[in-house]
Amino acid sequence: MIQFQNVSKKFSGLDGPVSALDQVSLTIEDHELFGVIGESGAGKSTLLRFINALESPDSGSVIVDDRTVNQLSKKALRQHQKEIGMVFQQFNLLSNKTVQQNTALPLNLHRYEHPLSVDQVLEFVGLSDKKNQYPAQLSGGQKQRVGIARALISRPKLLLCDEPTSALDQNTTEEIVDVLKKAHQEFGMTIVIVTHELGVIKELCDRAAIMENGKVVNMVEVKRSSTARNVKPYRERAMEVLSHD
Amino acid sequence: MTDFLSTYLERVSEFAPRMIESLGETGIMLSFAMIAAILLGLPVGTLLFLTTPGRPMSNRIFNSMLNIIVNIIRSFPFLLLVVAMQPVIRQIYGRATGDSVAASFPMIVIAIALYARFVEQSLLGVPKGIIETAQSMGATTWQLIWKFMYVEARSSLVIGFTTAVISFVSYSTIMGVVGGGGIGDFAIRYGYQRYETDIMYTAIILIIILVEIFQRLGLKLAKSIDKR
Repeated sequence: MIQFQNVSKKFSGLDGPVSALDQVSLTIEDHELFGVIGESGAGKSTLLRFINALESPDSGSVIVDDRTVNQLSKKALRQHQKEIGMVFQQFNLLSNKTVQQNTALPLNLHRYEHPLSVDQVLEFVGLSDKKNQYPAQLSGGQKQRVGIARALISRPKLLLCDEPTSALDQNTTEEIVDVLKKAHQEFGMTIVIVTHELGVIKELCDRAAIMENGKVVNMVEVKRSSTARNVKPYRERAMEVLSHD
Repeated sequence: MTDFLSTYLERVSEFAPRMIESLGETGIMLSFAMIAAILLGLPVGTLLFLTTPGRPMSNRIFNSMLNIIVNIIRSFPFLLLVVAMQPVIRQIYGRATGDSVAASFPMIVIAIALYARFVEQSLLGVPKGIIETAQSMGATTWQLIWKFMYVEARSSLVIGFTTAVISFVSYSTIMGVVGGGGIGDFAIRYGYQRYETDIMYTAIILIIILVEIFQRLGLKLAKSIDKR
Protein backbone atom coordinates (compact mmCIF):
# COMPACT_ATOMS: atom_id res chain seq x y z
CA MET A 1 0.00 0.00 0.00
CA ILE A 2 1.20 3.49 -0.84
CA GLN A 3 0.01 6.43 1.20
CA PHE A 4 0.60 10.11 0.62
CA GLN A 5 -0.17 12.20 3.68
CA ASN A 6 -0.38 15.97 3.22
CA VAL A 7 2.57 15.97 0.87
CA SER A 8 3.83 19.34 -0.36
CA LYS A 9 6.76 20.43 -2.45
CA LYS A 10 7.89 23.77 -3.80
CA PHE A 11 10.41 24.42 -6.56
CA SER A 12 12.22 27.70 -6.96
CA GLY A 13 10.95 29.36 -10.10
CA LEU A 14 11.71 32.67 -11.78
CA ASP A 15 9.18 34.61 -9.70
CA GLY A 16 9.86 32.96 -6.35
CA PRO A 17 8.87 29.47 -5.20
CA VAL A 18 6.30 27.59 -7.26
CA SER A 19 4.13 24.98 -5.61
CA ALA A 20 4.61 21.69 -7.43
CA LEU A 21 2.46 19.77 -4.99
CA ASP A 22 0.10 21.19 -2.45
CA GLN A 23 -1.17 19.11 0.48
CA VAL A 24 -1.76 15.93 -1.47
CA SER A 25 -3.22 12.93 0.34
CA LEU A 26 -4.17 9.68 -1.34
CA THR A 27 -3.88 5.93 -0.97
CA ILE A 28 -2.99 3.34 -3.60
CA GLU A 29 -3.88 -0.27 -2.75
CA ASP A 30 -1.74 -3.33 -3.42
CA HIS A 31 -2.12 -4.85 -6.88
CA GLU A 32 -3.96 -1.79 -8.08
CA LEU A 33 -3.51 -0.30 -11.55
CA PHE A 34 -3.49 3.33 -10.60
CA GLY A 35 -3.30 6.29 -12.96
CA VAL A 36 -2.30 9.88 -12.32
CA ILE A 37 -3.40 12.25 -15.04
CA GLY A 38 -3.09 15.98 -15.60
CA GLU A 39 -1.61 18.62 -17.84
CA SER A 40 2.11 19.35 -17.99
CA GLY A 41 3.27 20.99 -14.80
CA ALA A 42 0.37 19.65 -12.72
CA GLY A 43 2.84 17.88 -10.44
CA LYS A 44 2.11 14.30 -11.42
CA SER A 45 5.70 13.27 -12.17
CA THR A 46 6.85 14.77 -8.88
CA LEU A 47 4.20 12.76 -7.08
CA LEU A 48 5.43 9.57 -8.73
CA ARG A 49 9.06 10.32 -7.89
CA PHE A 50 8.25 10.59 -4.19
CA ILE A 51 7.42 6.88 -4.16
CA ASN A 52 11.00 5.82 -4.97
CA ALA A 53 12.61 8.93 -3.52
CA LEU A 54 13.97 10.39 -6.75
CA GLU A 55 12.45 13.52 -5.20
CA SER A 56 11.61 14.19 -1.62
CA PRO A 57 8.74 16.26 -0.25
CA ASP A 58 9.20 19.48 1.75
CA SER A 59 6.51 18.38 4.17
CA GLY A 60 4.15 15.47 4.73
CA SER A 61 5.03 11.83 4.42
CA VAL A 62 5.07 9.13 1.78
CA ILE A 63 4.53 5.66 3.21
CA VAL A 64 5.11 2.50 1.21
CA ASP A 65 4.32 -0.76 3.02
CA ASP A 66 4.70 0.87 6.45
CA ARG A 67 8.03 2.46 5.54
CA THR A 68 8.16 6.23 5.52
CA VAL A 69 10.16 6.76 2.36
CA ASN A 70 11.30 10.29 3.11
CA GLN A 71 12.83 9.21 6.42
CA LEU A 72 14.83 6.19 5.30
CA SER A 73 18.61 6.03 5.73
CA LYS A 74 20.67 5.91 2.55
CA LYS A 75 21.15 2.18 2.81
CA ALA A 76 17.52 1.43 3.61
CA LEU A 77 16.55 3.70 0.75
CA ARG A 78 18.60 1.70 -1.75
CA GLN A 79 16.95 -1.44 -0.42
CA HIS A 80 13.57 0.20 -0.96
CA GLN A 81 14.48 1.32 -4.49
CA LYS A 82 15.77 -2.14 -5.32
CA GLU A 83 12.24 -3.50 -4.97
CA ILE A 84 10.65 -0.96 -7.30
CA GLY A 85 10.76 -1.04 -11.09
CA MET A 86 10.57 2.16 -13.09
CA VAL A 87 9.81 2.91 -16.71
CA PHE A 88 10.74 6.31 -18.16
CA GLN A 89 9.42 8.51 -20.93
CA GLN A 90 12.82 8.67 -22.64
CA PHE A 91 13.50 4.96 -21.96
CA ASN A 92 16.90 5.78 -20.40
CA LEU A 93 18.66 2.75 -21.81
CA LEU A 94 22.45 2.55 -21.87
CA SER A 95 23.30 3.05 -25.50
CA ASN A 96 26.63 1.24 -25.19
CA LYS A 97 25.03 -1.94 -23.87
CA THR A 98 23.07 -4.53 -25.80
CA VAL A 99 19.40 -5.25 -25.17
CA GLN A 100 20.44 -8.26 -23.12
CA GLN A 101 22.92 -6.30 -21.00
CA ASN A 102 20.47 -3.45 -20.47
CA THR A 103 17.80 -5.85 -19.32
CA ALA A 104 20.16 -7.56 -16.88
CA LEU A 105 21.37 -4.28 -15.29
CA PRO A 106 19.36 -4.51 -12.04
CA LEU A 107 20.76 -8.01 -11.44
CA ASN A 108 24.27 -6.56 -11.70
CA LEU A 109 23.55 -4.11 -8.91
CA HIS A 110 21.82 -6.28 -6.33
CA ARG A 111 21.15 -9.86 -5.38
CA TYR A 112 17.51 -10.73 -5.96
CA GLU A 113 15.73 -13.74 -4.47
CA HIS A 114 13.65 -14.82 -7.44
CA PRO A 115 14.53 -12.79 -10.49
CA LEU A 116 13.37 -13.71 -13.96
CA SER A 117 16.01 -14.72 -16.45
CA VAL A 118 16.95 -12.37 -19.26
CA ASP A 119 15.55 -14.86 -21.79
CA GLN A 120 12.25 -15.16 -19.95
CA VAL A 121 11.70 -11.45 -19.65
CA LEU A 122 12.74 -10.68 -23.25
CA GLU A 123 10.41 -13.43 -24.41
CA PHE A 124 7.67 -11.81 -22.33
CA VAL A 125 8.06 -8.41 -24.01
CA GLY A 126 8.58 -10.03 -27.40
CA LEU A 127 12.19 -9.08 -28.03
CA SER A 128 13.96 -12.44 -27.94
CA ASP A 129 15.34 -11.88 -31.41
CA LYS A 130 16.84 -8.48 -30.52
CA LYS A 131 18.94 -9.73 -27.63
CA ASN A 132 22.32 -8.76 -29.08
CA GLN A 133 21.31 -5.48 -30.66
CA TYR A 134 22.11 -2.04 -29.34
CA PRO A 135 19.36 0.49 -28.51
CA ALA A 136 20.32 2.64 -31.53
CA GLN A 137 19.17 -0.24 -33.75
CA LEU A 138 15.68 -0.37 -32.18
CA SER A 139 12.47 1.55 -32.79
CA GLY A 140 10.91 3.68 -30.03
CA GLY A 141 8.41 0.99 -29.09
CA GLN A 142 11.13 -1.65 -28.93
CA LYS A 143 13.28 0.58 -26.74
CA GLN A 144 10.41 1.04 -24.34
CA ARG A 145 9.86 -2.72 -24.24
CA VAL A 146 13.49 -3.10 -23.23
CA GLY A 147 12.80 -0.47 -20.53
CA ILE A 148 9.87 -2.57 -19.33
CA ALA A 149 11.88 -5.80 -19.46
CA ARG A 150 14.58 -4.14 -17.34
CA ALA A 151 11.95 -3.06 -14.82
CA LEU A 152 10.32 -6.51 -14.71
CA ILE A 153 13.40 -8.69 -14.42
CA SER A 154 13.61 -8.32 -10.65
CA ARG A 155 9.88 -9.14 -10.23
CA PRO A 156 9.13 -5.86 -8.48
CA LYS A 157 6.16 -5.51 -6.13
CA LEU A 158 5.67 -2.06 -7.53
CA LEU A 159 6.09 -0.68 -11.05
CA LEU A 160 6.25 3.06 -11.63
CA CYS A 161 5.66 4.37 -15.14
CA ASP A 162 6.49 7.98 -15.93
CA GLU A 163 4.82 8.98 -19.22
CA PRO A 164 5.79 5.61 -20.70
CA THR A 165 4.09 6.24 -24.04
CA SER A 166 4.52 9.98 -24.49
CA ALA A 167 7.50 9.66 -26.80
CA LEU A 168 5.68 7.13 -28.99
CA ASP A 169 3.10 7.23 -31.77
CA GLN A 170 -0.41 5.94 -31.18
CA ASN A 171 -0.08 2.39 -32.45
CA THR A 172 3.11 1.90 -30.51
CA THR A 173 1.38 3.34 -27.47
CA GLU A 174 -1.21 0.58 -27.69
CA GLU A 175 1.54 -1.99 -28.01
CA ILE A 176 3.12 -0.71 -24.80
CA VAL A 177 -0.23 -0.54 -23.01
CA ASP A 178 -0.78 -4.19 -23.91
CA VAL A 179 2.61 -5.20 -22.54
CA LEU A 180 1.91 -3.39 -19.27
CA LYS A 181 -1.53 -4.96 -19.01
CA LYS A 182 -0.06 -8.40 -19.61
CA ALA A 183 2.63 -7.75 -17.00
CA HIS A 184 -0.04 -6.91 -14.47
CA GLN A 185 -2.00 -10.08 -15.24
CA GLU A 186 1.10 -12.23 -15.05
CA PHE A 187 2.89 -10.77 -12.04
CA GLY A 188 0.13 -8.89 -10.22
CA MET A 189 2.30 -6.02 -9.00
CA THR A 190 0.97 -2.59 -8.14
CA ILE A 191 1.35 -0.28 -11.12
CA VAL A 192 1.31 3.50 -10.83
CA ILE A 193 1.26 5.23 -14.17
CA VAL A 194 1.61 8.94 -14.79
CA THR A 195 0.50 10.27 -18.16
CA HIS A 196 -1.34 13.08 -19.88
CA GLU A 197 -2.84 10.63 -22.37
CA LEU A 198 -6.43 9.84 -21.40
CA GLY A 199 -6.57 6.81 -23.66
CA VAL A 200 -3.77 5.10 -21.78
CA ILE A 201 -5.55 5.49 -18.43
CA LYS A 202 -8.85 4.39 -19.94
CA GLU A 203 -7.29 1.20 -21.32
CA LEU A 204 -5.18 0.32 -18.36
CA CYS A 205 -6.26 1.69 -15.00
CA ASP A 206 -8.80 0.78 -12.33
CA ARG A 207 -8.67 4.12 -10.67
CA ALA A 208 -7.11 7.49 -11.42
CA ALA A 209 -6.32 10.78 -9.75
CA ILE A 210 -6.80 13.91 -11.79
CA MET A 211 -4.31 16.61 -10.89
CA GLU A 212 -4.37 20.33 -11.44
CA ASN A 213 -1.84 22.88 -10.17
CA GLY A 214 -0.31 20.53 -7.63
CA LYS A 215 -3.60 19.31 -6.22
CA VAL A 216 -5.64 16.16 -6.70
CA VAL A 217 -8.92 17.59 -7.90
CA ASN A 218 -10.77 14.35 -8.64
CA MET A 219 -10.48 10.66 -7.94
CA VAL A 220 -12.28 8.48 -10.47
CA GLU A 221 -13.12 4.81 -10.89
CA VAL A 222 -12.19 4.18 -14.50
CA LYS A 223 -14.85 2.55 -16.65
CA ARG A 224 -12.90 0.39 -19.06
CA SER A 225 -14.13 0.39 -22.60
CA SER A 226 -15.92 -2.95 -22.97
CA THR A 227 -15.66 -3.30 -26.73
CA ALA A 228 -12.34 -4.49 -27.98
CA ARG A 229 -10.60 -1.48 -29.42
CA ASN A 230 -10.01 -1.56 -33.06
CA VAL A 231 -6.42 -1.00 -33.97
CA LYS A 232 -6.05 0.66 -37.31
CA PRO A 233 -2.79 1.11 -39.09
CA TYR A 234 -1.25 4.57 -38.81
CA ARG A 235 -1.93 5.36 -42.45
CA GLU A 236 -5.67 4.69 -42.10
CA ARG A 237 -5.90 6.72 -38.95
CA ALA A 238 -4.03 9.61 -40.55
CA MET A 239 -6.40 9.53 -43.51
CA GLU A 240 -9.39 9.48 -41.17
CA VAL A 241 -8.25 12.45 -39.13
CA LEU A 242 -6.86 14.54 -41.95
CA SER A 243 -9.48 14.03 -44.65
CA HIS A 244 -12.66 14.45 -42.54
CA ASP A 245 -13.83 17.76 -41.12
CA MET B 1 69.12 15.43 -56.16
CA THR B 2 70.78 12.12 -55.34
CA ASP B 3 73.65 14.11 -53.92
CA PHE B 4 71.36 16.05 -51.66
CA LEU B 5 69.58 12.90 -50.58
CA SER B 6 72.75 11.03 -49.75
CA THR B 7 74.21 13.91 -47.72
CA TYR B 8 70.92 14.26 -45.90
CA LEU B 9 70.74 10.55 -45.08
CA GLU B 10 74.32 10.67 -43.94
CA ARG B 11 73.56 13.53 -41.60
CA VAL B 12 70.43 11.87 -40.28
CA SER B 13 72.31 8.68 -39.53
CA GLU B 14 74.95 10.76 -37.82
CA PHE B 15 72.31 12.31 -35.57
CA ALA B 16 70.16 9.20 -35.30
CA PRO B 17 71.52 7.85 -32.01
CA ARG B 18 70.93 11.19 -30.29
CA MET B 19 67.50 11.47 -31.88
CA ILE B 20 66.47 8.03 -30.72
CA GLU B 21 67.67 8.83 -27.22
CA SER B 22 65.54 12.01 -27.31
CA LEU B 23 62.51 10.04 -28.39
CA GLY B 24 63.11 7.76 -25.41
CA GLU B 25 63.13 10.78 -23.09
CA THR B 26 59.90 12.03 -24.62
CA GLY B 27 58.52 8.54 -24.07
CA ILE B 28 59.37 8.66 -20.35
CA MET B 29 57.71 12.05 -19.87
CA LEU B 30 54.63 11.04 -21.86
CA SER B 31 54.28 7.75 -19.99
CA PHE B 32 54.34 9.47 -16.61
CA ALA B 33 51.78 12.01 -17.83
CA MET B 34 49.49 9.37 -19.33
CA ILE B 35 49.57 7.16 -16.26
CA ALA B 36 48.87 10.16 -14.01
CA ALA B 37 46.00 11.26 -16.24
CA ILE B 38 44.33 7.86 -15.93
CA LEU B 39 45.11 7.05 -12.30
CA LEU B 40 44.51 10.54 -10.89
CA GLY B 41 42.97 12.75 -13.58
CA LEU B 42 40.05 10.36 -14.04
CA PRO B 43 39.07 10.27 -10.34
CA VAL B 44 39.62 14.03 -9.91
CA GLY B 45 37.41 14.76 -12.93
CA THR B 46 34.79 12.35 -11.62
CA LEU B 47 34.85 14.11 -8.24
CA LEU B 48 34.49 17.48 -9.97
CA PHE B 49 31.36 16.10 -11.57
CA LEU B 50 29.91 14.30 -8.55
CA THR B 51 30.43 17.04 -5.97
CA THR B 52 28.71 19.78 -7.99
CA PRO B 53 25.61 20.91 -6.06
CA GLY B 54 22.58 18.87 -7.09
CA ARG B 55 24.63 15.77 -7.94
CA PRO B 56 24.98 12.56 -5.94
CA MET B 57 27.95 13.67 -3.78
CA SER B 58 27.01 17.35 -3.72
CA ASN B 59 29.53 19.33 -1.63
CA ARG B 60 29.81 23.00 -2.47
CA ILE B 61 33.02 23.77 -0.54
CA PHE B 62 34.97 20.73 -1.73
CA ASN B 63 33.80 21.34 -5.28
CA SER B 64 34.86 24.99 -5.37
CA MET B 65 38.24 24.16 -3.85
CA LEU B 66 38.88 21.44 -6.41
CA ASN B 67 37.78 23.76 -9.20
CA ILE B 68 40.09 26.52 -8.04
CA ILE B 69 43.09 24.19 -7.81
CA VAL B 70 42.47 22.79 -11.29
CA ASN B 71 42.03 26.29 -12.70
CA ILE B 72 45.21 27.60 -11.07
CA ILE B 73 47.28 24.77 -12.51
CA ARG B 74 45.77 25.20 -15.93
CA SER B 75 46.21 28.97 -16.01
CA PHE B 76 49.92 28.87 -15.08
CA PRO B 77 52.11 29.50 -18.12
CA PHE B 78 53.59 26.01 -18.28
CA LEU B 79 57.20 27.17 -18.27
CA LEU B 80 56.58 29.03 -15.01
CA LEU B 81 54.84 26.00 -13.51
CA VAL B 82 58.00 24.04 -14.25
CA VAL B 83 60.11 26.68 -12.52
CA ALA B 84 57.72 27.08 -9.61
CA MET B 85 57.78 23.35 -8.95
CA GLN B 86 61.56 23.10 -8.71
CA PRO B 87 61.79 23.19 -4.89
CA VAL B 88 59.05 20.57 -4.53
CA ILE B 89 60.69 18.25 -7.04
CA ARG B 90 64.03 18.64 -5.27
CA GLN B 91 62.37 17.65 -1.98
CA ILE B 92 60.72 14.56 -3.43
CA TYR B 93 63.19 13.32 -6.02
CA GLY B 94 66.49 14.71 -4.77
CA ARG B 95 67.19 16.71 -7.90
CA ALA B 96 65.03 19.00 -9.96
CA THR B 97 66.95 19.18 -13.22
CA GLY B 98 68.97 17.08 -15.56
CA ASP B 99 66.85 14.04 -16.31
CA SER B 100 63.48 13.13 -17.77
CA VAL B 101 62.14 11.73 -14.52
CA ALA B 102 62.64 15.04 -12.72
CA ALA B 103 61.05 16.75 -15.73
CA SER B 104 58.05 14.44 -15.49
CA PHE B 105 56.79 15.99 -12.24
CA PRO B 106 55.33 19.13 -13.86
CA MET B 107 54.01 16.92 -16.66
CA ILE B 108 52.16 14.82 -14.08
CA VAL B 109 50.61 17.88 -12.46
CA ILE B 110 49.38 19.41 -15.70
CA ALA B 111 48.21 15.99 -16.93
CA ILE B 112 45.96 15.51 -13.91
CA ALA B 113 44.45 18.98 -14.13
CA LEU B 114 43.95 18.86 -17.89
CA TYR B 115 42.44 15.39 -18.09
CA ALA B 116 40.25 16.02 -15.04
CA ARG B 117 38.51 18.77 -16.99
CA PHE B 118 38.05 16.54 -20.02
CA VAL B 119 36.59 13.83 -17.80
CA GLU B 120 34.18 16.28 -16.21
CA GLN B 121 33.04 17.40 -19.66
CA SER B 122 32.58 13.84 -20.84
CA LEU B 123 30.42 13.02 -17.83
CA LEU B 124 28.38 16.17 -18.39
CA GLY B 125 27.62 14.82 -21.85
CA VAL B 126 25.80 11.77 -20.46
CA PRO B 127 22.00 12.33 -20.50
CA LYS B 128 20.63 13.31 -17.09
CA GLY B 129 18.08 10.50 -17.22
CA ILE B 130 20.90 7.98 -16.79
CA ILE B 131 21.73 9.21 -13.28
CA GLU B 132 18.07 9.13 -12.39
CA THR B 133 17.75 5.61 -13.75
CA ALA B 134 20.70 4.41 -11.68
CA GLN B 135 19.18 5.99 -8.58
CA SER B 136 15.79 4.46 -9.28
CA MET B 137 17.48 1.05 -9.25
CA GLY B 138 19.09 1.78 -5.90
CA ALA B 139 22.63 1.93 -7.31
CA THR B 140 25.44 3.14 -5.05
CA THR B 141 27.53 6.08 -6.22
CA TRP B 142 30.31 3.63 -7.09
CA GLN B 143 27.92 1.58 -9.24
CA LEU B 144 26.55 4.76 -10.80
CA ILE B 145 30.05 5.71 -11.93
CA TRP B 146 31.32 2.34 -13.10
CA LYS B 147 28.18 0.69 -14.43
CA PHE B 148 26.42 3.73 -15.88
CA MET B 149 28.50 6.91 -16.33
CA TYR B 150 31.77 5.44 -17.59
CA VAL B 151 29.88 3.04 -19.85
CA GLU B 152 27.97 5.85 -21.52
CA ALA B 153 30.89 8.31 -21.57
CA ARG B 154 33.57 5.86 -22.67
CA SER B 155 34.16 7.01 -26.23
CA SER B 156 34.17 10.64 -25.14
CA LEU B 157 36.65 9.74 -22.37
CA VAL B 158 38.94 8.19 -24.98
CA ILE B 159 38.70 11.22 -27.29
CA GLY B 160 39.45 13.53 -24.33
CA PHE B 161 42.43 11.38 -23.44
CA THR B 162 43.71 11.57 -27.02
CA THR B 163 43.47 15.35 -27.03
CA ALA B 164 45.18 15.47 -23.63
CA VAL B 165 48.07 13.25 -24.78
CA ILE B 166 48.66 15.49 -27.78
CA SER B 167 48.88 18.46 -25.41
CA PHE B 168 51.35 16.44 -23.32
CA VAL B 169 53.55 16.06 -26.42
CA SER B 170 53.52 19.81 -26.81
CA TYR B 171 54.23 20.42 -23.10
CA SER B 172 57.11 17.93 -23.20
CA THR B 173 58.91 19.89 -25.91
CA ILE B 174 59.87 22.69 -23.53
CA MET B 175 61.29 20.45 -20.80
CA GLY B 176 64.77 21.13 -22.16
CA VAL B 177 64.89 24.20 -19.93
CA VAL B 178 65.37 21.96 -16.91
CA GLY B 179 67.47 19.42 -18.75
CA GLY B 180 64.63 17.01 -19.28
CA GLY B 181 65.57 16.35 -22.88
CA GLY B 182 63.09 14.94 -25.34
CA ILE B 183 62.61 15.26 -29.08
CA GLY B 184 61.45 18.89 -28.81
CA ASP B 185 64.57 19.83 -26.91
CA PHE B 186 66.61 18.01 -29.53
CA ALA B 187 65.00 20.08 -32.31
CA ILE B 188 65.76 23.30 -30.46
CA ARG B 189 69.32 22.51 -29.41
CA TYR B 190 70.70 20.73 -32.46
CA GLY B 191 68.47 22.14 -35.15
CA TYR B 192 67.67 25.69 -34.13
CA GLN B 193 70.57 26.80 -31.98
CA ARG B 194 73.25 25.11 -34.10
CA TYR B 195 71.65 26.05 -37.42
CA GLU B 196 71.23 22.42 -38.49
CA THR B 197 67.95 23.28 -40.22
CA ASP B 198 67.53 19.90 -41.90
CA ILE B 199 67.89 18.14 -38.57
CA MET B 200 65.43 20.55 -36.95
CA TYR B 201 62.79 19.77 -39.57
CA THR B 202 63.46 16.08 -39.30
CA ALA B 203 62.77 16.27 -35.57
CA ILE B 204 59.62 18.33 -36.15
CA ILE B 205 58.37 15.78 -38.67
CA LEU B 206 58.94 13.05 -36.08
CA ILE B 207 56.80 15.02 -33.63
CA ILE B 208 54.08 15.44 -36.25
CA ILE B 209 54.13 11.71 -36.95
CA LEU B 210 53.89 11.02 -33.22
CA VAL B 211 50.84 13.30 -32.87
CA GLU B 212 49.26 11.79 -35.96
CA ILE B 213 49.65 8.28 -34.55
CA PHE B 214 48.05 9.23 -31.23
CA GLN B 215 45.18 11.01 -32.96
CA ARG B 216 44.39 8.13 -35.28
CA LEU B 217 44.66 5.45 -32.64
CA GLY B 218 42.48 7.47 -30.29
CA LEU B 219 39.74 8.12 -32.81
CA LYS B 220 39.77 4.55 -34.01
CA LEU B 221 39.41 3.20 -30.49
CA ALA B 222 36.71 5.77 -29.62
CA LYS B 223 34.73 4.83 -32.70
CA SER B 224 34.96 1.12 -32.11
CA ILE B 225 33.53 1.37 -28.58
CA ASP B 226 30.77 3.84 -29.46
CA LYS B 227 27.41 2.13 -29.99
CA ARG B 228 25.26 5.23 -29.71
